[in-house]
Amino acid sequence: MKWSHSMLMNRFLFTVIFFAFWGCKDEDNAIVDRNYQLVWEDDFAGPAGAAPDPAKWTYDIGTGPGNNGWGNNELQYYTDRPENVALDGAGNLAITARSESYAGRAFTSARLNTKGAFDQAYGRFEARIKMPWGPGIWPAFWMLGSNIDEVYWPQCGEIDIMEYRGQQPNLVHGSLHGPGYSGGAAITKSFGFTNDRFDVDFHVFAVEWAEDYIDYYVDNTLYQRIRPENVPGEWVYDQPFFIILNVAVGGNYVGFPTPQTPFPQTMLVDYVKAYKEVN
Amino acid sequence: MKNIKYQTSALALLATLAIWTVISCKRDIEDLDPASFPTTAEVFIDGFSAGLNYGAFGGSKVTAFDVDTEVKYKGAASMKFAVPDAGDPQGAYAGGSYFTAVGRNLSGYDALTFWARASKAATLDVVGFGNDFGESTFLVTLEGVPVNTNWQKYIIPIPDPSKLTQERGMFFYSEGPEDGLGYTFWIDELKFEKLGTLAHPRSFILEGQDQVFSAETGQKLDIGGLKATFNLPTGVDQSVKPAPAYFSFSSSNTSVASVSSTGIVSVVDSGTAVITANLGSRPAIGSLTVNSTGQAVGPTTAAPTPTVNADSVISLFSNAYNNVPVDTWNTRWQFSTAEDFDIQIAGDDVKRYRKLNFVGIEFSSKTINASAMTHFHIDLWTPDPTELPAAFKVLLVDFGANGTFGGGDDASHELSFTRPTLVSEQWVSLDIPLSNFAGLVNRAHLAQLVLSGDLPNVYIDNVYFYNAGPVAPTGPTVAAPVPTRNPADVISIFSDTYTNIAGTDFNPNWGQATVVSQVSVAGNNTLRYAGLNYQGTQFANNLDVSGMTHLHLDFWTQNSSNLNIFLISPGPVEKPFSLTVPTSGWASVDIPLANFAPVALDNLIQFKFDGNGDIYLDNLYFYKNGGGGTIPTTAAPTPAFNAANVISVFSDAYTNIAGTDLNPNWGQATQVTQTPVAGNNTLLYTGLNYQGIQLGSNQDLSNMTHLHLDFWTVNSSSLKVFLISTGPVETPFALSVPTNGWASVDIPLSSFAPVNLADVFQFKFEGNGNIYLDNILFYKTGGGTIPTTAAPTPAFNAANVISVFSDAYTNIAGTDLNPNWGQATQVTQVPVAGNNTLLYTGLNYQGIQLGSNQNLSSMTHLHLDFWTANSTALKVFLISPGPAEKSYTLTVPTSGWTSIDIPLTEFTPAVNLADVFQFKFEGDGNIYFDNILFHN
Repeated sequence: MKWSHSMLMNRFLFTVIFFAFWGCKDEDNAIVDRNYQLVWEDDFAGPAGAAPDPAKWTYDIGTGPGNNGWGNNELQYYTDRPENVALDGAGNLAITARSESYAGRAFTSARLNTKGAFDQAYGRFEARIKMPWGPGIWPAFWMLGSNIDEVYWPQCGEIDIMEYRGQQPNLVHGSLHGPGYSGGAAITKSFGFTNDRFDVDFHVFAVEWAEDYIDYYVDNTLYQRIRPENVPGEWVYDQPFFIILNVAVGGNYVGFPTPQTPFPQTMLVDYVKAYKEVN
Repeated sequence: MKNIKYQTSALALLATLAIWTVISCKRDIEDLDPASFPTTAEVFIDGFSAGLNYGAFGGSKVTAFDVDTEVKYKGAASMKFAVPDAGDPQGAYAGGSYFTAVGRNLSGYDALTFWARASKAATLDVVGFGNDFGESTFLVTLEGVPVNTNWQKYIIPIPDPSKLTQERGMFFYSEGPEDGLGYTFWIDELKFEKLGTLAHPRSFILEGQDQVFSAETGQKLDIGGLKATFNLPTGVDQSVKPAPAYFSFSSSNTSVASVSSTGIVSVVDSGTAVITANLGSRPAIGSLTVNSTGQAVGPTTAAPTPTVNADSVISLFSNAYNNVPVDTWNTRWQFSTAEDFDIQIAGDDVKRYRKLNFVGIEFSSKTINASAMTHFHIDLWTPDPTELPAAFKVLLVDFGANGTFGGGDDASHELSFTRPTLVSEQWVSLDIPLSNFAGLVNRAHLAQLVLSGDLPNVYIDNVYFYNAGPVAPTGPTVAAPVPTRNPADVISIFSDTYTNIAGTDFNPNWGQATVVSQVSVAGNNTLRYAGLNYQGTQFANNLDVSGMTHLHLDFWTQNSSNLNIFLISPGPVEKPFSLTVPTSGWASVDIPLANFAPVALDNLIQFKFDGNGDIYLDNLYFYKNGGGGTIPTTAAPTPAFNAANVISVFSDAYTNIAGTDLNPNWGQATQVTQTPVAGNNTLLYTGLNYQGIQLGSNQDLSNMTHLHLDFWTVNSSSLKVFLISTGPVETPFALSVPTNGWASVDIPLSSFAPVNLADVFQFKFEGNGNIYLDNILFYKTGGGTIPTTAAPTPAFNAANVISVFSDAYTNIAGTDLNPNWGQATQVTQVPVAGNNTLLYTGLNYQGIQLGSNQNLSSMTHLHLDFWTANSTALKVFLISPGPAEKSYTLTVPTSGWTSIDIPLTEFTPAVNLADVFQFKFEGDGNIYFDNILFHN
């Protein structure tokens, strides 16, 4: 999710979007039945307006360590206020981006992570999510290597299970950032609907991750498999990663919101689950 | 950029229709089941789709549309639209609709889509679908569509596809020049699609607002602000304007307000109703809460008619005057919520304001010079509470010599009026001296009147400036009748006839607007209330009138529409009595003091009048009736009818119908007794509520003309007599009560229609109080339908007479007693007991053309003798050239010959007495006349 600040790269990203569909004959992308055992989850049960379980989630507050929009020129100020992050009382986590003047920024939103509470190497990581929409809205479900404070990004590695641009509500994107292939050079693929959208119903986004592959799923569709030989640099995915959920507003990846962008915008997360593969 | 109306008439369509019909080779609709409609999605791909026609809108440039094979997005051709320059003589804009003769079933699609580009960046005024050049029931409009020189895809969502099962309007557009310049745009690949990527449908009424509207019964409100919004596949919301037919409207309370399928709300009663709507299965955002106050409360009587001479008036609004031009009665200035209505109250034009916070009334186009005026007058009526601090404010603005707002020469002043000047639910007349508008330093260029304050509902009338100086409203020319009561029985407040109680203050300052004066009327001192709102009278000492029975008062007014008198005892305890106004000459009233309960009659402190108009008062006194008794001390007058002409029910003077029950048990509370009064048997009803009389036998009264009654009461305030025939069929006749001594009444039996006079079997009385009755009988006049005696011979000195028709005098020569004015009346001269008499048979109207024009200036009266047994209406008119005529009503039918001497002043000023040339009679029945003459 950290992108180099390059217009050229941006242009490249915006123009090289392609679709992958279940049913292609690529042997490499064949679905594999694997046995998984649930090891961690949050189903976001609780009363409306309550904060999610503090034993599981901590917050990133503000505009990032360099005050540069978390490295991406994102426009929002992240808070832990219930206006931006709360349970909805119907079993979902609601992360809400608002258009409001706050701490010098024109938008607020929230970003949660499990750093220090839960991390894991390998297994299946999934979340059931209904997207927000509108130009400049950039929700994500992703992971960072737990050693980020020692080796820094991108050496720690980044697995983007789902990213989405509000101006393309029928597309999601799965990516992998590592040393030598980060930012605009990340390994990425998109999955899309021709006559449906991700903001009208819940969908399950997942990766299945082992020593020699990371498989990207939307619902039951495997649309991308990345193997160590597919990355142009070091494979840094043999150590624990923690989970992140956020809704950004603006930034290099998504572009600016427009006057037509409806606010507020809420990403609803029904659950997040992590599994270990068992034999 | 031009706004286009889409109700293009069929004629306009025919005038400009350019029909394009292209047969598709891809689909053969002939093979389809005739009951279903084609689902063809394509409108224009590379040409017209099956059955598609084009019609240009009225006033548009008909040739604006063409098919272009060079510029296209895809395929072989596109639609090209050449928007004309402003002022193009062939049409001011490009616009038209593509429609089919047979509807298409579009319910399987969710949008109309197309690609478009233009020769320059521009904004299309409107595009859409559903315009079928007919009712366009399911019209959808997308406004303000940006286009540029690149091909872009456009999506017009269908608000509810299930509605479009046989839609004929495939696409329409309308676009005018941009900044006066024409340009070209192209549309291609125009088709309906099932995108599946339109999300988050929302619909709105009233732009999504929850509006609250104060309304009243009969009002109609249009639910506007209809909108349907979808999120496009680009994540951007797009809103279209759907026709009302896409929505289903509903009311939470249809007994208060109903709503039609087109969103028209009809308020039917008081209460609250919430109007909401659904689009498809989803509720629309926005609602209209109708708070209905029910039927509007307004005046039922006209405002007092102004009496100021028109020469002294500059009127803005009055039926009594010619009004000067007023630009507007509602300038609708910013923040003004006032709504104005022109209404009529009792035939009089009235301005009504509702939701009045302030309203500008402007006459700046032609300013008013009120320099010579002294007063501003306005009548107002409000249903709103007028308790303090509620105020009504009047602001006058003068624009100064430059005649326009500003410029340093403007002047204005505002006056505020509160209770007690303001009164709810009655006409209040404000006569405001212009000098009170202290800041209005000049008034030669008055341009605005601004009304404001705390009364949201105001009716106004008679808005005018006037000069009160030399011309005062007219008053009575004759004195009030001189009282005849024994001074020993009287406590007088204001009368020249009696010694008045000392020290009365006739104008205590109670904050009233009324101007009180004492004026001499024909030498008689009279109390005048000008511009009455209310007016008190303060007695010097508390007054004990408990020994009195009545309050007497004479009053005169031409312009009051409301007048009440109050007696007041400490507390204050007060009680009004309503006086009938306006009066015809002096009116006298004797009000039983019982009417003023619970006022303490032994401790009166004050009088009060309220109402409106200019009032003259005289002979205000209390008296006791008949020596203070509540029983008559004299017998009823003995009737003098020929017994042969009488059917008597209750009288000592005649033989009464045998077997009559004077107290049948009809459940009444009345006590019935017979009691001698001065030796004469009299019927007494005590504590009347109602009371019947059952005649001993059914009576045929066909030959009778009148019911005669004598009655006496000091405390009844209501009394009616009913005649009843079998059925029962009954009709009441109201008797004037209380009486001043015995009252005799002769009621024409025709008054009791539709009672069957051939079969009368009961009487009934209704009312209250204690009543003495005598000489209840029927009689017929004259014993027949022709007079048997001659009219009495007049005894005027011939030197003082100008005679028209009389044996006793020399008549004007050459008079035509039967000029042909188209009348139905038959005129004959017949001898009656040897005396020549003029007979009108079957009168509708009848003229008399005098032999020469007569100067009657020296005459004082018109004398007439007349006789009729069957006339129910008769008027005599005097006519001078013009013609100028005035009528005088004669009392009919008569009991024998009636002689009348009518003061000629009854016919003035309408008739010029120096130049009278005709008579006219109007009415019905057969009438005998004699001795038609003028005398002094």
